[in-house]
Amino acid sequence: MSNRKSKLVFGLVVLATITSVVLAGCGPTPVPTPTAGPTPTPKVITQVVTPTPAPITGKLFLNLGPGDVPTIDPALSTDTSSVQIVEETTVGLTRQHEETTATEPGIATEWKQSADGLKWTFKLRNDVTWVKYNTATGKVEQVLDKDKKPRVVTAKDFEYGVKRTLNPKTASDYAYVLNFFIKGGEAFNTADTKKLSEAELKKLEDAVGVKALDDFTIEFTTIEPTGFLPMVAGMWVAHAQPSWLIAEKGDRWTEAGFFQGYGPYTLKEWVHESSITIIANPFWPGTANIPKPKINEVTWYMLDDTPAMANYETGKQDAASVPLADIDRVKADPKLSKELKIAPILCTYYYGFNTKKKPMDNPKVRLAFSMAVDRVSLIKNVTKGDQEPAQWFSRPGLAGAPTLKDYPDLGVKFNAAKAKALLAEAGYPDGKGLPEITLMYNTHEGHKKIAEAIQQMWKTNLGVEVKVANQEWKVYLKTLQTDSPQIWRLGWCQDYPDANNFDKEVFRTDGHEYKATNWSNKKFDDLVDQAGRETDLKKRTELYAQAEKILVADDAAMIPIYWYTRVTLTKPYVKRTFSVLGGLEHIEKWEVAPH
Amino acid sequence: MAVQESAIGQTLERVKIKERKQASLWADALYRLLRNRAAVMGGLIAMGLILVAIFAPWIAPRDYATQILTDNNRMPSWLLNLFPSSKGYVQISEGYLLGADYVGRDLFSRIIYGTRVSLSVAFMGPLIALLVGTVYGTISGFFSGRVDNLMMRFVDIMYAFPTLLLIILLMAVFRSTTQATVPGTLRYTLTSIDARVGGMFFIYIGIGITAWMGMARLARGQILSLREKEFIEAARTIGAGNVRIMVRHILPNILGPLIVAETLAIPTYISYEAFLSFIGLGVNPPTPSWGSMIADGAMSLRSYPNQAIFPALALALTMFAFNFLGDGLRDAFDPRLRGTGK
Repeated sequence: MSNRKSKLVFGLVVLATITSVVLAGCGPTPVPTPTAGPTPTPKVITQVVTPTPAPITGKLFLNLGPGDVPTIDPALSTDTSSVQIVEETTVGLTRQHEETTATEPGIATEWKQSADGLKWTFKLRNDVTWVKYNTATGKVEQVLDKDKKPRVVTAKDFEYGVKRTLNPKTASDYAYVLNFFIKGGEAFNTADTKKLSEAELKKLEDAVGVKALDDFTIEFTTIEPTGFLPMVAGMWVAHAQPSWLIAEKGDRWTEAGFFQGYGPYTLKEWVHESSITIIANPFWPGTANIPKPKINEVTWYMLDDTPAMANYETGKQDAASVPLADIDRVKADPKLSKELKIAPILCTYYYGFNTKKKPMDNPKVRLAFSMAVDRVSLIKNVTKGDQEPAQWFSRPGLAGAPTLKDYPDLGVKFNAAKAKALLAEAGYPDGKGLPEITLMYNTHEGHKKIAEAIQQMWKTNLGVEVKVANQEWKVYLKTLQTDSPQIWRLGWCQDYPDANNFDKEVFRTDGHEYKATNWSNKKFDDLVDQAGRETDLKKRTELYAQAEKILVADDAAMIPIYWYTRVTLTKPYVKRTFSVLGGLEHIEKWEVAPH
Repeated sequence: MAVQESAIGQTLERVKIKERKQASLWADALYRLLRNRAAVMGGLIAMGLILVAIFAPWIAPRDYATQILTDNNRMPSWLLNLFPSSKGYVQISEGYLLGADYVGRDLFSRIIYGTRVSLSVAFMGPLIALLVGTVYGTISGFFSGRVDNLMMRFVDIMYAFPTLLLIILLMAVFRSTTQATVPGTLRYTLTSIDARVGGMFFIYIGIGITAWMGMARLARGQILSLREKEFIEAARTIGAGNVRIMVRHILPNILGPLIVAETLAIPTYISYEAFLSFIGLGVNPPTPSWGSMIADGAMSLRSYPNQAIFPALALALTMFAFNFLGDGLRDAFDPRLRGTGK
């Protein structure tokens, strides 16, 4: 799930379900296929029903972390806070189960791969309609078309969505995910809009391998046989988007009052920098894995952990992640400790290097900085959430990711003496002669504490004074893409449960963080490409292990710090699921008892 | 008869006043200051703080930046008795007088070193204001006419700069940027100076740019009332030049009110720094500032109240001390103003 904004915290649980799904999925396709979870039951839906909305009651108050949600436009979302809203207000063709990570039916009821493996066809439900919140009546209404009939979500809306994300004019930072798989995607997405005429651009757009065969059937054509496709096709960048609304309102279509969606919830109110509220969509048909919502309104505040915790303790919030400073107290408190849940999530907390800037252009310096971080002590004394010290990037538990059991010595571990020696070897004994170094993180109290502890570790273990700076999330993400500092902080959460989503999509040349690292290694690229094609799980894992060695040790392009857990408090009257997807909750499965 | 008597009485009184020993302005002020208990207290505390700031390395039991991660959030037992709600999860460690913070740094030592940051701003502001403002105001007031008009209009324009916004703007433009590492640029030079003074540079600059105007106006006003006085005329008739009159005759006479005004402004400067550090724009970590310590402590207020309360107490005490001292000085230099508020 893209870049992780806030810091939650974790312990290792290898998700057995993932492994079994992967094994089961290895069919005739030449690519590892962690595809469909429960077999979708094809439903015969003959006509669009307009249900009379049954009253849904109850309110839920949560927190999304400090800073405004960057966007709720599916084409433009890149971070966990945006995706949380997007996934509740629109639904993909497929959807990940938030606890097992299995791919389940979304708007599509069934999908199949063609004999040559290059084409995927999805059958869509025909009972989902576009809705909007009417600010005047305070009710959620169906969007009507010219003939005053409810607009049904069709395959054309999905085709439009994918093409809009890929359109170079949309400038989506996440389009690359589709480029990797969809035929003609990269050519269209990277087209030079200034040089090409409208007609030429249209030609490229038409060549993109996404096509609505009829109102409720959509076909994807891939570059090579791709088992991942059902997962990728379910991602938010490929959600249906309202072409009529975007044509009319432009960028402002996501604002409250204009917004139209079709998920179990829709946008009610968005007070920028303060809170965002979604309201239950009574027209949502309710499917086996995406039920009708049971809570009418969900509000997320945009607070740092401490004020959110205060809200929780005074009853103004129904769930909260525990600030680092309060973990010991919560664990000792007889009442709060019962409401506490520490569980792993599929995310990795790391620091990256800008390998273009001195002195981080030297891999020895980078490795020295990585080895000087005492992850065990950091977790024990600062983060305190049973996280696992990370030795490499791809989170164990993902298909293809190495595990500590099989690869106990892979990657990087704390070694102060070796770090010091490496720095001397690089020509900076005891940090002498180093230029000014800046470590930057997005504004958040947890990140600050971690940064200060690591700043001191570098000072003690290497003799280097590092400057720390922070920026607000929205600004920070831009900084990373335009002029990233020597060392920067990010977290990465899975978009689909496979190491491919970590190693290849983030750190490969032209991957998601390429502009921030400026790091490119032919051997690494070849390894992750090869691993993507490999079908034997053991061989794949071995390939990823080799790639990880280059990434975190030989080239040391990043510092893996820890594998996340979430440390969450939930009021006893809330019946909920605990997502491992990294902050992406499926609220429609939650219930709130009267309290 | 009655009329006569009273007339005689008046004469006598006038004679008495003349006979009384003429104390100098300064001695008189000191006498009045020492009789003001609150001001004396404030002065003593201020002096104590200055000593603490100077001798911080000898007073502080530990280094302010050294983290002992395993000692995070510890408290001594006396403190735990003060905050009994923290019992049960706080680890006890008698080695920290006021407890340790979230990365195991001694809170007491950090408060001691924090004095340096606060006081450096407290004195830097008035210093710049006195130097620039007094000279500017003196020149403007002394020459009057067109010079005065031009100079004062410039002050009016400068007055439009809100200090805090200016500082925040400076920080946003020059700091918190990733380009700090390209040597040779203005930004690089400024940020490296900034790094050398622990992140205080832009606070100094911001205060420097905005603090002198008030002083300039005050100085000018004082001079306007002085320059027509007889002793100035006298000095002029015996051939004293402009500079000599300004330095020898006018400045000593206006310095009192200026010092009072600046002493009263000290708490404002301290609060600027604390405020900026609180919102994360002040000193660079790990340099301790009370503002940033309060901000950090506020994060753990519910679990470890000591981490916010003690730096806040230190800040409050300092503000009180300088306020009382300033009030006392004002009363001392100009008893007519007593109780009028500034």
